[in-house]
Amino acid sequence: MQLNLNGKNIEIAEDLRDEPLIWTLHDRLQLNGSRYGCGAGWCGSCTVILDGKATRSCQTKTSQAVGKSLITLEGLANGDKLHPVQQAFLENPLQCCYCMTGHIMTAVVLLENTANPSSVQIDAAMDANLCRCGGYNNIRQNVARASEIARGAT
Amino acid sequence: MKPTAEMRWKTTRRRLLIGAGSLGVLGVGGYFGFKAAIPTLVDQIATESGGGSGPTQPLFWFAIDPKTGITLYVPKGEMGQAVQSVMAQLAAEELELEPMQLQIAFANSSQGFADLHGTFASSSTTSLYQPVRQAAANLREMLRSEAATQLGVPLSEVIVSRGTCFARTKPNKKLAFSQIVAAKKGEWVEPTTATLKSRQQFITIGKNTPRVDVPAKIIGEAQYGIQARAAGMLYGAVARAPRFGATLRSGNAGQAETMPGVKKVVIDVANNFAGVVADTRTRAKNALAKLQLEYTGGSNIGQTELESLVTARAGQGTVVRNIGNIGELNLEAAYRTPLAAHAHLEPLTALVSVTSNLIEAWVSTQSVALETAALEQQFGTNRKIIVYGMQMGGSFGRKGNQTAVLEAAMLSQAVGAPVHIAWTREEEMQHSFYRQPSHTVLRGNVDSNGKIISLEHTVASGDILTGSFDPAIISPILAVGYQIDPGIFTGLFSPYAMTNYRVHTRLVELPIPTGLWRGLGLFPHVFALESFTDELAHQTKQDPLEFRLNNLGADLQARRLKAVLEAVKIKSDWTTPNPRNTARGVACSFSSNTAVAMVVEVQVQNQIITVTRVSIAIDCGLVVNPNGAALQAKGSVVMGLSSTLIEKIVVENGAVQQKNFDDYPLLRLKQTPPRIDVHFVESDLDPQGMGEPVIGPVGAAVANAVFALTGQRLRELPLKLES
Ligand code: FES
Ligand code: FES
Repeated sequence: MQLNLNGKNIEIAEDLRDEPLIWTLHDRLQLNGSRYGCGAGWCGSCTVILDGKATRSCQTKTSQAVGKSLITLEGLANGDKLHPVQQAFLENPLQCCYCMTGHIMTAVVLLENTANPSSVQIDAAMDANLCRCGGYNNIRQNVARASEIARGAT
Repeated sequence: MKPTAEMRWKTTRRRLLIGAGSLGVLGVGGYFGFKAAIPTLVDQIATESGGGSGPTQPLFWFAIDPKTGITLYVPKGEMGQAVQSVMAQLAAEELELEPMQLQIAFANSSQGFADLHGTFASSSTTSLYQPVRQAAANLREMLRSEAATQLGVPLSEVIVSRGTCFARTKPNKKLAFSQIVAAKKGEWVEPTTATLKSRQQFITIGKNTPRVDVPAKIIGEAQYGIQARAAGMLYGAVARAPRFGATLRSGNAGQAETMPGVKKVVIDVANNFAGVVADTRTRAKNALAKLQLEYTGGSNIGQTELESLVTARAGQGTVVRNIGNIGELNLEAAYRTPLAAHAHLEPLTALVSVTSNLIEAWVSTQSVALETAALEQQFGTNRKIIVYGMQMGGSFGRKGNQTAVLEAAMLSQAVGAPVHIAWTREEEMQHSFYRQPSHTVLRGNVDSNGKIISLEHTVASGDILTGSFDPAIISPILAVGYQIDPGIFTGLFSPYAMTNYRVHTRLVELPIPTGLWRGLGLFPHVFALESFTDELAHQTKQDPLEFRLNNLGADLQARRLKAVLEAVKIKSDWTTPNPRNTARGVACSFSSNTAVAMVVEVQVQNQIITVTRVSIAIDCGLVVNPNGAALQAKGSVVMGLSSTLIEKIVVENGAVQQKNFDDYPLLRLKQTPPRIDVHFVESDLDPQGMGEPVIGPVGAAVANAVFALTGQRLRELPLKLES
């Protein structure tokens, strides 16, 4: 079975077909950007981008990612250059940052579809991702800031 | 800058440095074990403040390697409080460096200063403010004096700047710290008390220096405990009893042993333990589900019984404060707070490798020392034990608990390979320990000048501190004079000046484990106390904020509370009319030697309470990193609002009813007030606690605002309006 992970094709053992994608990424491929929070679709920490859609990797079988473009936190930066969303979260971090993968991946997809989102659109897009440390206002600011960086409106 | 005393290091006592075949690496020395810590821990609990403790010898904190530079070993767990960054700031200040020039590592249990306190009680910055700076200053002076020798100039001529030493007259010939260490011959002499900078001289302390841990987290390089890895590691899953207190009576592996990927099934009835090891987590869980296990005994407690057990009766329980004579009391009210979960996003995890001569553990933990002690107790001290603290994805008190490390160790021993355990969300929700439920009865009266004359304060509360630790560890602490749960004191006492004040507490033994949760007793206590303060103010038709100012005394704590109340009055526009359909509520609290006052603004629509704005004024002493401290404050508000408006763990038949974030929702982004303004009041004090104090006033401030808006006085959390 082959995955297209962050632009590269990689071979994955057949016996992982039914394995939740999060664990294939987390344990087999040892990608630390994948974060388990609830395993049930409620928290959003495990979000990846599958064919351009923000997707809960805990609710996705590994085989469901076959033949699709799969992007994880590790695949966002371009060499040393952080993605604008990463840049914004670096400048204005959260607390433990465990949830941050989910917020970043969700925001990347939002900005791909809506380059300059309103605060209402930001709230709507980001609301399904939990942050127990309570960094929600930083998250709101960071999405707006990332949109500025991406649009060159620094 | 002159050392007032010096001490010659003995190579025997702390395996140090020079000529030890280590290329001139100035290295981290020994390990201060846990046992010596107990008296200090007791002091800390007693005074409710971190105090300044910990060795100040540089080598417990720093290693200088010509190749990798200077490493600071941080003895606290990182769970989002930016402790690594704050420690880097403190050290960099005295070492004359940029914080980013330091490498930061967690002190493990064999290297660095094994933290005696663990990472608890908002004490990280408070307790390390002095020793880290002192150790850094001592190290600076050692390097400076060695630089004088190497440069051939008198000590007074040597300047330290940006990680180098040079002679005043020859600023171009700079010696990097690592060069100085590499060229050193003979023994180092350590000044024990190099002079520290005064506050006016600070360059990095007080600035918003960047977080040192975030760059690795933003690109997926940082490893949280759940991502700990070792060659040949396997995954464990552990059976949980269906009711609190139930024990394993019998067990049968069933088909589990032959399922794909399963390496070991352990059923150990004598030790009340059953678990599976497999090559993936999923397979371990699937096999675990096939075990045929029978449990016996345990509790069948339900919510009604729980609440009736946790019911305070005015004037009953141990008297913990008694001033004056309580006379007639004309206002009485009772308040209740429920069980609550920590809901840290990264669950409890540990990776443990047990071999015949070495046990290594990589753990998400608030205390490397407690994990080490637990392993020593289980496996004896014949083997070397090393515990490495990992990055934590939140904790809030939860990861002061050694369950996962012991489970992984037992399974590793059984299978003969490293085993990783990560609890699932369902396990965390149903088999953890919880914030203690509480019930508080307050009775009081106020004179015609609006002064509180008498207050009688009775608290019934589930266990806070004793249950969270292994009894072997906690009992020496309890033996030093506590008859009652020491955790009860955080935020317990009313801050107001009263002639007559009596406080009774009763520790209710419950069949449900309860314990450390952000702020211990703080959040439940202040909800009750500050709601009642509001009731007293309204009874006598006083402005609630002025009423508080009027009732605070003249001691330092009261003066600091007055200052934050005055500040929040301005920041929240308290004296201007409320925006349409909103009302404001105020509350304040004092804990970890930090004063907090908070005003919240609420709206109600269709019986749903929405908080639209929060203003906070804080006196937490010197603020080392304003952005970091403000983030702690905002996070405390969000967590406090979640507890105030939503969260409640319910038990039936001896088991928790909630399973995951669908039936135990947390506050979400849309429910978070876009405006949470944090204002720090100038203070001459050293840094005080910041991780917990701000959660104190949240519940009462919201309930008080709801009363101001609707006239309904809600006395139970989570707040629910009657239709
Ligand atoms: S871990 Fe996937 S949504 Fe929570
Ligand atoms: S920063 Fe800790 S959960 Fe979001």
